[in-house]
Amino acid sequence: MKIKDIVKIIDGEVIVGKERINEEVNSIGAADMMSDVLALSKPGMLILTGNTSTQAVRTAIVTDLMGLVIVRGKEIPPATVEMAKESNLILIKTNNYMYSTCGKLYSAGLRGIDEH
Amino acid sequence: MSIELSCKLSKYAHIFEDLKAEDIMTKQVSTLTADKKISQAKEMMKIKKISGIPIVNDENKLIGIISIEDIIKALETGEMEEKIEKIMTKEVISLKKEDNLPSIIQKFEMYKFGRFPVVDEKNFLCGILTKVDILHKILDKFNLIYLHDKKRNSILNQDLSLITGEKLDIKKAEFKHQIDTTDISRAGEGAAILKSFLINKGIDSEIARKVGIAVYEAETNVVIHSKGEGEILCFIKKDKIIVRVIDNGIGIENLDQAMKEGFSTAPDYIRELGFGAGMGIPNMKRFADKLVILSEKNSGTQVEFVFFLKDK
Repeated sequence: MKIKDIVKIIDGEVIVGKERINEEVNSIGAADMMSDVLALSKPGMLILTGNTSTQAVRTAIVTDLMGLVIVRGKEIPPATVEMAKESNLILIKTNNYMYSTCGKLYSAGLRGIDEH
Repeated sequence: MSIELSCKLSKYAHIFEDLKAEDIMTKQVSTLTADKKISQAKEMMKIKKISGIPIVNDENKLIGIISIEDIIKALETGEMEEKIEKIMTKEVISLKKEDNLPSIIQKFEMYKFGRFPVVDEKNFLCGILTKVDILHKILDKFNLIYLHDKKRNSILNQDLSLITGEKLDIKKAEFKHQIDTTDISRAGEGAAILKSFLINKGIDSEIARKVGIAVYEAETNVVIHSKGEGEILCFIKKDKIIVRVIDNGIGIENLDQAMKEGFSTAPDYIRELGFGAGMGIPNMKRFADKLVILSEKNSGTQVEFVFFLKDK
């Protein structure tokens, strides 16, 4: 599934990385706890999170993520957006809560990395 | 000894709580029997340069004490050739062998004597204890602690890997990063910079990622918990990468607990940033090939990682 398909399903908005919407998403997950992302994520993954701090982006950089989907329509601090831009990460925002966002993507066929 | 010094002593007494009178006392005691003349006591004090003599019976049981003040009084009253028995203090305040330092100091405070005889449970004299003895003993203890610290510092600061024992030239570390412990939002910055540094050095991206993750957790710990200053050092060797994350902060009180998944002492605002779930050290373990943590309460923390490079 491509980034643009995901954005459509979750009624999201691409904040950073509009030029990459045709890229394929290979794996996806969700976590608010950055230590969990550090522990369990795979390189190239897209992560759904409610964490809008720069820590989220920095965690994404260190773990080689594809990008982040910020759920619950949270206001994203400019520093976070800026850091995502500098690091060539994709940053998507949706008003859906974590549960609904996951549910929508799961029913669209995206499985978690533990099910692969 | 001044009262001020006594106060200082009593302040630290609890630290040396386990010191007993028998550990502190001088065992070689000059004694006299009560039938000896006061002038003999004076001579003994002069020769031995002491200011008090315990008086014992034939069995070496403590029955009295004579001090320099008693001698002065005897001089004034012309009683120097009388028997000690006549002027000695018979109600002797003594210490028991098992008395610990706080109670000993309390006795010094209470009676203002310069010395106390030390007796066993049957009142046999075993030694004598002055404040100078206490000072000596405490200095000995401090010396031990000092030596221990010296030894530990020499281990900590030596330029040898804690894990592999190989030489690490700290000054020539390939990568150095001061951790900004004043700004939580910058935690992980060093790890991110280190990771891209390794990529630029041509290190395999999978290994660079592992380094980044482990160091991220270590760095976050320094920022959240250490209350000190920290540094990240990285050494690239032929077959491995060695990373040290060190701080001079408050140390880890209970390392066993800290190693457990889910154990955390982090405050709520840290949790909001996505940390503090007690995954820090477990994550370090998960991603490093080897990990050593040296820490002690109030003595900083030193984390060393080894990441093996793959055979090319």
